[in-house]
Parts: sequence; structure tokens; C-alpha cells
Amino acid sequence: MNAPLLRLDRAAKRFGNGRLALADVSLDVEPGEIVALVGASGSGKSTLLRLLAGLEAPTAGRALFRNVAIEGPRPEIGVIFQEPRLLPWLAVADNVGFGLAALPAAERGRRVERALDRVGLAAYARALPRELSGGMAQRVAIARALVGQPEVLLLDEPFSALDAFTRTDLQDHILDLWREDRPTLVLVTHDLDEALALADRVVLLAGPPGRIFAERTVGLARPRERTSSAFQEEKRQLLSTLQAARSGRTYDPEVLEVP
Amino acid sequence: MPTTELAGFAAAADDAAAAGSLRPRRSRSGALARAGLGVALPLAFALAWEGAARTGLITTFLMPPPSAVVTHIAQLFATGEIWDHLSATLSRMSLGFGFGVAAGTLLGALVGYLPIAHRLLDPSVQALRNIPSIAWVPLFILWLGIFETSKVTLIAVGVFFPVYMSLAQGFASVDRKLVEVGRVWRLSAFAMVWRILLPATLPTYIIGLRGGLGLGWMFVVAAELMGASEGLGYLMVDGQMTGRPAAIIASLVLFAVLGKASDLLLVTATRPLVAWQDGFRR
Repeated sequence: MNAPLLRLDRAAKRFGNGRLALADVSLDVEPGEIVALVGASGSGKSTLLRLLAGLEAPTAGRALFRNVAIEGPRPEIGVIFQEPRLLPWLAVADNVGFGLAALPAAERGRRVERALDRVGLAAYARALPRELSGGMAQRVAIARALVGQPEVLLLDEPFSALDAFTRTDLQDHILDLWREDRPTLVLVTHDLDEALALADRVVLLAGPPGRIFAERTVGLARPRERTSSAFQEEKRQLLSTLQAARSGRTYDPEVLEVP
Repeated sequence: MPTTELAGFAAAADDAAAAGSLRPRRSRSGALARAGLGVALPLAFALAWEGAARTGLITTFLMPPPSAVVTHIAQLFATGEIWDHLSATLSRMSLGFGFGVAAGTLLGALVGYLPIAHRLLDPSVQALRNIPSIAWVPLFILWLGIFETSKVTLIAVGVFFPVYMSLAQGFASVDRKLVEVGRVWRLSAFAMVWRILLPATLPTYIIGLRGGLGLGWMFVVAAELMGASEGLGYLMVDGQMTGRPAAIIASLVLFAVLGKASDLLLVTATRPLVAWQDGFRR
């Protein structure tokens, strides 16, 4: 079998202060897959994502991209953070084109324009970040991540600071973008609805120290209707699995029973 | 490419202003009214003083009325005598400011960016900072002579510290989250400083520049009082020696005007660079 696109191989992360954030985590992500990492705070899900992004190095085990150790941020891997993190002194277009400094200006301009077009913000190219709403700013951050045409997009609770309406809007938006060129998505969230609306596979983490205690393939056809009974049933099962984790019971990852 | 981006700050800010930010633009007459409020106090003071002098409430021998000071300044300009002194002071000041800013920026950026440079250099710089800069004068005169070099050096030392501090401290307080954006895009150390740390620190840096400018004026006076044959400071010493308080006050007024004008110039020139700020009051 081919190597997976992303792999964590018994990875652990202990921070300088001695806190073990992640203990012995193994995870494979296949090309084009959408994986949601779900867990309470302290379950190490953001740390896991930062290992894949190359922003942190594992203190034990390995993080691999195409079977090569991830030693730092890579051009094939884009990151979208919880906050938009736009550079406040740059206009929207310059923020989006920030990482393309090596390209000739004309080519950069074309790519920026296309990326802004894809998130529906072409009209705001010359606006400054302080003039944008939270949802718009996060769309600019999405455009900035897309402009480098990454194979993998890592999203760290990307919509958690937004209102419910904007959130579902942007979730649908991410799915539209995914349908176009099928990047691999790894998404950290604490919102079960978000995980079920987006993911092929939900990975449940618990901690501290963070570890994977269950995985569940989402058996819902796309497009998914958030209000459908199948969706709600899926959510109910996910929820009870999570609650079991909190009460300390363990589940066989393959067979998730419904209490 | 980095230069176009810096120029882009201003362009983006202008565009944004043109696109209509939520803040109402201040009208020209409003700006005049505010400037008028700023001069109201000194004007009232001058009038009161003038009145007191004319009515004999104060003796004009040591405290000349404003009219005498204005007459003296007018005379300096009329005879053309002022230009040599002004150009002497201004050229010392600009050279010293230039060198001080260059050194403060380079060293401040280095210390702000590299932890090892911070541990190595910052304690020494902080120790030197605690020496009152005027205390360098005897040494500078011994080393560099009594002419321009020692004066320019003294001014540069004064300018150096606020500029250095603004970057050495400023870089450390740049939002880690923005720095991480630079890491995700794999910026080189130079690009990280030029494209993220420096722009993010710009508001603090400008305050450092203004502080440096103020200290520069302080030390240009000090340098010229210590011994000079021309310059505004020399005019003061001359006024003291010849017992003409109006000449001293005239120099004071000129220093105030020059200091305020140079600060205004600095603020105006740098305002477009920080127009992106979303602050409490601008």
C-alpha cells in the first residue's frame, strides 16, 4: 500500500514546562480526505495540528508528509488559524499575496485576484483589515491559504469565533472549494455539527495528555443536510461516544455502540 | 518587492480613506480652529508679559518684553546674520540625527530579533544608557577635538538610545500570531524583520524617532554651549556674555520653533505609514 499523505507515527509532544500535551498519537490521512479532530480543550488537538503544520516538532515519534519528516512549514501545507491573523498594515490583496513574493508581480496579481474571487471578496482587494467584519477577515485568511495552491489545508478551529449564521456559511464555502480541487483537509473543531457537516472521518481526542480514543467514519452522503434525521442520529452517536470518554469508559474504535 | 510593499502601506491607506472609513474627515476650518487653540495659551502669556513690561510692573532690564525679543529676531533675519547660525545648528542636528537613527535602528533590530544578541549586547547598552549623555563631552572633546565631529557624535549618542529601545523592546512585543504567519510562509530572517517585525513595530519606532529628535535638540544645545563659534547655542552664550537677555530668549524661541517644526515634519511624513492602525484616537 502507498504511504498516506500525512502520517503521525507514535508522536508525542512535551512542552518546555514539562506538560505532556500529546501522548503516543498515530494517525494516517489519505489524499483528498476531510478529517475532523474533535475533543475538549486540553485534548491536544491543536498541538496535533501544529505538528502536521511543522510549527512544532514532536518530542517523540514522527510527523510525516509523503513519508518525509515534516521539519518545518512546507509549501504543500497551508494553515488557517482560529483568528484571521491578517497583517493590519497591508491591504486585503497584499495580505493574500503575502507568501507569493517570489513570483513576478503580474502572475502574483492574477493568483490573488482568483483567490479573492473564489471567496467572493474581489471588491475588497484594496480595503484594510480593520474595515472587514470577522467573517470577511476569515475569508481573506482562507484566500491567503488557497493562493499557494496547497495539497493539504490545516484548519485550527477556523470558524469558532464567528456567529452561527456566518459559520455555516463558511463551512459550506469550504466544501465548495474542496469540491473544486479536492485538497486534503484536517480540521480541528469542538463543534460536532461542524465536524459532521464537513468530515469523512471524525477523530475523537481526549486528554490531557492528548490521545486518540476513537475514530468514526461519517456515513452520510454529500451534500449533507444539517437538519436531517440521519445527521441528528449521527450526532447523537458521536456525542455519546464523547461522553463515554469523559466518564473513562473505553470503546473499540472499530465498533461504536449506541448506548 | 519589499520596497513596493512599503510604498503599498501608504497607497492602501489612501485608498481606504478614499473608500470612506467610518471616521468622518476633519474639515480644514476645524483643523485651523484646533491649531488656534494650541497657540492661545502662549499668545495670552506673551500679551500679559508685554502689558506688565509696558506698565512697569516688571523691570525690562533682565526680562525683556516679547516685543524686544521679536525685534531682535527680526534684526537677526534682516542682517542675514541668522542664516549661518541656523545652518550650523541644522547641519549638526541632521548629521547627528542621521547617524543616531542608523545605529539605533541596526542595533535595535539585531537585539530585538536575535535572543543571543539580546543577551550579549543589551546589558551593556542599558548600562551605557544610564550615563548622562552630557557626561561624554569631556571625553569626546579629548578624542574627537572641539570641532564638528565631537558635536555630531554627542547628538548621535542622544538620538541612539530612544531609537534603539523602540526596536529592541518593540520587536519583543510583536504579536506571536503574526510572526507565525511569517513562519508558515517560510520567510527568511531578513524578510521576517523587514516584512513583519518592522511594520508591526512602526508605531513604536516612530515614537522612538520622536524621542530621539527631542534628545537630539537637547544635545545640540549642550554641544553648542560647550564651545562653538556659530549656531543657535552660540547665540545664547553670546547673549549671556554681552548681557542681552533678549538675544538669549530669541534663541530659546527659535529652538522651540525648530523643535516643534521638525517633530511636526516627522509626524506628517510618517503618518501615512501608520494609517492602518485601528487605535483609540488618531
